[in-house]
Amino acid sequence: MKFRTIIQFISLAAFLFLLVTAATTGVGLVSPDLYLRMDPLIVFGSAISGRLFLVSFIPAIIVVLVTIFFGRLFCGYICPMGITVDCSDRLLKLKKKRGEGRPGLYKLKYFILFFITVSAIFGVSAVFIGSPLSLITRLYGLLIYPVITFLVKMGLDLIHPVADHFEIYGLLYADIASPRYATLFYVLLFFTGIFAAGKINTRFWCRYLCPAGAILALFSRFSIVKRRVSDDCTKCGKCARLCPMGAIDKNSPENTSFKECIGCLICRDVCPVNAVDFNVKGVKRKDYPDFIPERRALLYSGVAGAVFATANLTGLYSVYGKPGVGQVSPKDLVRPPGSRPEDDFLALCVRCGECMAACPNNALQPVWFARGTEGLFSPSLVPKRGACNPDCNNCGVACPTEAIRPLDVLDRRWAKTGTARIMRDMCLAWEHQKRCMVCDEVCPYSAIKFRSEPGNPVPVPEVIEERCSGCGFCEHHCPVQNQSAIYVTPMGAVRLNKGSFMEYGKSQGLNISLEHKGKKEQAVSEGYPGESYPSNEGDAPGFDGDAPGFEANAPGFETATDSLESKEETVHEDAEYDIAPGFTE
Amino acid sequence: MNREYFEKMEKIIENRLSRRTFLKYQMKGLLFLAAGSSGLILPKKIMAEPLPDIAVAKGEAVKAVRAAVELLGGMKNFVKKGGKVLIKPNMSFPNPPAMATTTHPDVVCELVRMCNEAGASNILIADYPLFDTDTCLKRSGIADACGKLENTRVVGASSDRFYKDTEIKDAKKMSRNGIFQEAFKVDTLISVPVAKSHTATGVSLAMKGMMGLCWDRSGMHTKELSSSIVDLCTVLKADLTVIDAIRVLSTNGPRGPGKVLKEDTIIASKDMVAADAFAVARFPWYGKRYKPSQVKYILEAHERGLGRMDIENLAVKEIQV
Repeated sequence: MKFRTIIQFISLAAFLFLLVTAATTGVGLVSPDLYLRMDPLIVFGSAISGRLFLVSFIPAIIVVLVTIFFGRLFCGYICPMGITVDCSDRLLKLKKKRGEGRPGLYKLKYFILFFITVSAIFGVSAVFIGSPLSLITRLYGLLIYPVITFLVKMGLDLIHPVADHFEIYGLLYADIASPRYATLFYVLLFFTGIFAAGKINTRFWCRYLCPAGAILALFSRFSIVKRRVSDDCTKCGKCARLCPMGAIDKNSPENTSFKECIGCLICRDVCPVNAVDFNVKGVKRKDYPDFIPERRALLYSGVAGAVFATANLTGLYSVYGKPGVGQVSPKDLVRPPGSRPEDDFLALCVRCGECMAACPNNALQPVWFARGTEGLFSPSLVPKRGACNPDCNNCGVACPTEAIRPLDVLDRRWAKTGTARIMRDMCLAWEHQKRCMVCDEVCPYSAIKFRSEPGNPVPVPEVIEERCSGCGFCEHHCPVQNQSAIYVTPMGAVRLNKGSFMEYGKSQGLNISLEHKGKKEQAVSEGYPGESYPSNEGDAPGFDGDAPGFEANAPGFETATDSLESKEETVHEDAEYDIAPGFTE
Repeated sequence: MNREYFEKMEKIIENRLSRRTFLKYQMKGLLFLAAGSSGLILPKKIMAEPLPDIAVAKGEAVKAVRAAVELLGGMKNFVKKGGKVLIKPNMSFPNPPAMATTTHPDVVCELVRMCNEAGASNILIADYPLFDTDTCLKRSGIADACGKLENTRVVGASSDRFYKDTEIKDAKKMSRNGIFQEAFKVDTLISVPVAKSHTATGVSLAMKGMMGLCWDRSGMHTKELSSSIVDLCTVLKADLTVIDAIRVLSTNGPRGPGKVLKEDTIIASKDMVAADAFAVARFPWYGKRYKPSQVKYILEAHERGLGRMDIENLAVKEIQV
């Protein structure tokens, strides 16, 4: 195996390792978004559209610096997208017309880059259209990983009867979580297209379309280490035929398009006379062919980017300006915890799906057009699929651009995503007078209180909104099918660009905690007169007040309580019974 | 003596024991005696040195578990040599044992040890946690503590693969559900719930806990929770119930956090309804006392003959360890 292939596989393995650890355990050795932060398009595009520079953007700057010195090594050795395209080119055994290229197509990537840049200047992030790392993360994280886990799950289902019969417990109780995602067909179609395009030319994506490659191309023309051809060259043209990027002039192979060269060293290895070398100094050759597009064409693509951006900003769902009256937001779109205010969030989100892959409950899903074109593939919390763990901040840690902010555990709980709302006309307890209270059972924040409702024999739930963090456990577990009778609305979501969510929440009168006790008593002191259980009358929730049957002071049993009672009084330090224990009331 | 009893006596004396009251009491006594002699009530008390219906042990968890089961004749009464055992604790919530929302690992471990002593070949501890399986199993302490013991496996059964679609013949509301497959294969089913309050059903004990061995729990709520629980218990009838009331979650159950009473009590019975009923009557819930019949599914289970909630008529043996 060649040196480059080994490096490529190590790089892909590292990328997948980070992704899979993010998807399974949530914590990688390095932050899971490292590769995404190496993508220059993600970093520059987001920095422009989000008007923000983060220290975590440094990897991309290092990539650019490396490019200035050594050429597009990132493309040739590191980029998982490039490696994947290489693999598909090889696996599909498509006709190898490596060296040939279509000069006109080479310019496409600059148009895409300009389109994205101008759009970013207007504050609209179109990075997701062409960012290789964003796309490849979605391919592996949202399509391939789920498919593999699904197949494993299916396999386990299939061998289950066998394992059961032979009592192979390791297999019998083996299990794997298989996530599900929306918008998969886009990823599927997109990559089918990209892989199939390998039929036209190898590394079709990298040569013609990749805007991140375009950025690196602009820098690599200055690179110090370059392909240099000595005078031994016999002009046999073998190198030009085999160059995966089509970067070598067919007619005079000593000329290289330095912008396209990814330093893969294939030309050096195949040269029959060893005339090719990559070094600092040597015979200087022409930068040819030169695929820089005309200014006018670039201008057009810039204008197109501006049109795209302004069309977004004048669309119904535009987030331009301060939030307020007249701003239309989808009524059910709940963002991940710690998301910045919607305009900044959308400007920074690169739609890589890393947050979704990292969500342990599969709760984050890409949205289609629910938020207009501007919100395409951005993450939303879908509690019906999975709720949001109070102690988990995987999405914030995974986000490469901090569109979802990384928060410490305490602050994280105060990052309210919305408020639960009960639809009484669907609720089992409210409408159908059935015992349920699952919402209360599962609420981590004790934000559901129960109360008795005149004429209703069962306790009914109510949301204490200042305690609700919008995690959606209630919606997730609500037994009402299809549309839960309690669901999370974006109302009251706390979205902050900076500062502590806890401090802000407290200043807003929120009271979010996992340690709330004694709903009943607190609810009274918190000013819900008449809505809570009267503290000394009425029954504990779930008990039948007027139970039929057995005599209260049945013979035989009284003596039992009799003996217990005295003990109990010593046991409970905080006993607080005014009424004598027993069964009459 | 019972305070209430005094109050009652006072009342009676105050009323100078009117003829009417006197007759009423006389009649009651008569009826009671008649029922007793005809064997309707107190049938067990007539036998010589019988095993109690309900065994109660107070004291340190490990010792109390052992003592309670010994009172019922020991684990050999429930587990045969080479038999397979399914233990159903509550490990459904991602909370530490101190919060009393899950069964204490000490209690479960001691049962495992006793099963092993009785010669069990295979012990499975299973529950279908409400939250992330691994987190629940870990935080409950059961996975770590009991997983190490011999012949034992701790399983978070949260995949539909583990459940067998089962017809419930005697159902009133829920005629089908997916039931944890092992429940039909084991020789002994032991229920080890923690004693806690429950907003919807009053208490969550052995019977309610069986919901951790069935797949479709949402359907149980939409159909009718109390009847569905009884329906479920007709197919998931524990051979031995050991209620962990070392800590009792008296308020805010089942999730907590709520008021935790330190009761140091283990209640064991062959009859899950009786065990549940006894736990209801024994502890205060939200600071008040309740009759077992005030818990709808206990009442229904009693009426449908699944077990007995008339604990006043059952033999209760209590010891301090």
